[in-house]
Amino acid sequence: MSALLEVRNLRVRFNGFTAVDGVDLDVAAGELLGIVGESGSGKSVSMMALMGLIDAPGIVTADALRFDGQDLLTMSAAQRRRGLGKFVGKDVAMVFQDALNSLNPSHTVGNQVREVLRVHLGLRGAALETRVLELFERVEIPAAKTRLGAYPHEMSGGMNQRVMIAMAIACEPRLLIADEPTTALDVTIQAQVMDLLLRLQREQGMGLVLITHDLAVVATMAQRVAVMYAGQVVETASTDTLFEQPRHPYTQALLAALPEHNRGGPEEGRRLSALPGIVPGRNDRPAGCLLAPRCSHVQPRCQAERPELVGGVRCFFPQAIKQGPA
Amino acid sequence: MSEPVMHAQDLVRHYRVRQGLFAPAATVKALDGVSFTLRARRTLAVVGESGCGKSTLARQLTLIEPPTSGALRLDGVDAAVADKPTLRQLRQRVQMVFQNPYASLNPRKTIAAALAEPLVINTALSARERQQRVLQMIERVGLRPEHAGRYPHMFSGGQRQRVAVARAMMLQPAVVVADEPTSALDVSIQAQVLNLFMDLQEATGTAYVFISHNLAVVEHVAHDVMVMYLGRAVEQGPKTQVLGSPLHPYTRALLGAVPVLKKADRRPRIPLVGETPSPLAPPSGCAFHTRCPLAVARCKAEVPMLRELGGRQVACHLAEVGP
Repeated sequence: MSALLEVRNLRVRFNGFTAVDGVDLDVAAGELLGIVGESGSGKSVSMMALMGLIDAPGIVTADALRFDGQDLLTMSAAQRRRGLGKFVGKDVAMVFQDALNSLNPSHTVGNQVREVLRVHLGLRGAALETRVLELFERVEIPAAKTRLGAYPHEMSGGMNQRVMIAMAIACEPRLLIADEPTTALDVTIQAQVMDLLLRLQREQGMGLVLITHDLAVVATMAQRVAVMYAGQVVETASTDTLFEQPRHPYTQALLAALPEHNRGGPEEGRRLSALPGIVPGRNDRPAGCLLAPRCSHVQPRCQAERPELVGGVRCFFPQAIKQGPA
Repeated sequence: MSEPVMHAQDLVRHYRVRQGLFAPAATVKALDGVSFTLRARRTLAVVGESGCGKSTLARQLTLIEPPTSGALRLDGVDAAVADKPTLRQLRQRVQMVFQNPYASLNPRKTIAAALAEPLVINTALSARERQQRVLQMIERVGLRPEHAGRYPHMFSGGQRQRVAVARAMMLQPAVVVADEPTSALDVSIQAQVLNLFMDLQEATGTAYVFISHNLAVVEHVAHDVMVMYLGRAVEQGPKTQVLGSPLHPYTRALLGAVPVLKKADRRPRIPLVGETPSPLAPPSGCAFHTRCPLAVARCKAEVPMLRELGGRQVACHLAEVGP
């Protein structure tokens, strides 16, 4: 399996605060990787670092950052977009959470998609028009022809997200990063947009990185999952393995905190098993394992040392294979 | 069965909206005939997508706005026709918890001041008694006494939501209306806040109207469920019936669209085409017929009424047909 995207020991720091702390990721061509984590876990920041979207005072370092064999570390953010690499926006594209805020309110949605095609593919005239209409139909926007002239505020959230996806797939990227693409949408619309993303991924053989806080979305879509906590990947495994046999105490606690996980038990309808406390902020990161203050299986060693990611689990005492602490 | 604390009968709320400088005003039927009975220590969950009238319903129930028509009985008094002094009294009985705890707390007030405010306005308690009540409540919602003097920005989202819940509980209301109270929170924090809601209900007997789009949360906290679509209830009744064996095609589609963790629990997907129609121009007949996979000619012509079927109420001509 040749890796389309290879990330080794990625770190992002803001004024001394490590937002992303040694992240390793691989995405193969045509693979769907889900990254899950709570707010502040560094899931979005790590992908923005890859796209060259981290501005000063953020500092990005890594041992390796390769896309399709090209070394991104030697390229500036501007070069990633336009220079030698020219890969951001063309080979790698990103879809953000809030489509309405990501689109320019003073241009029609059609023009915003046309811009992508002009800049990256140099399309003009009739070829441009044909392609833009084709893209709108591809993402299943009804009455595509009339919608081309609409402004973002004239369309619903689901439709705007489809426009974002049309922009992202305009150059047939090989890797699409979708950052909470359906979080702002209603569930029936979420299902439509997720189906669309899955279909496009299969048809175009794209690699897809899906960033989300919703474990169930990942469980239904991804082939492989990385769970992040406080800037680190704490567990990574194939989707079935991760959800059936979670080994890291954090993964187990996350699953146990879901209302649907408590269904059918003797205490049905009552208390959920909640992880105490909150994600450590910039001033209260513990010296040892980052989960140590909240972990129910904490040992003295956890408070003294930080564990490494070994065999897909960042824990000194990975849990035996069983369902989460009930 | 405990006594009913809130009873809504055919609640209707229409808004007049201007469509342009010279165009005639149009009517949005944001809420178009909703009825339910809520008993102490029970939770009614209201589910539905954007624009279905959930938040309009919340505004009626909390007496922020009078309904256009219909009755809302609180402690046996009809709030829809009550005069101002009575309304003032009744408002103490219904409190609200909002979605975003970052926006719902005054950043310039300490937690203690925010919690004491309802007492200052509505009771004749002395400053000392107020302080006592505030400290009791702070403890009850799982915060520490030293938090009393702090400001909202010093708290995390989950803690702020605890404060918001505490504030709603200060006047010992009969009903708390919670509008998406956990959707701004992370999973592990959501579990803490849901537990708090349930603990408080057990202790005080408060009834909840729990508005949420998260069906897993609803399934966990609710006793009764009402599914809304374009201002009307399409299916309502006990949780086990409505969510366990849904009869309305919209309920089924909604449940099927929710991503579910365990493969064994996944329900059949019923893909819905299109989006919710604009409430300004609702479809004729059954409002759902434009997206319904089962729709027949009758659905286009005739509005289905809520009727008893299989232990719940459902508004569908074809409820017997099955998926």
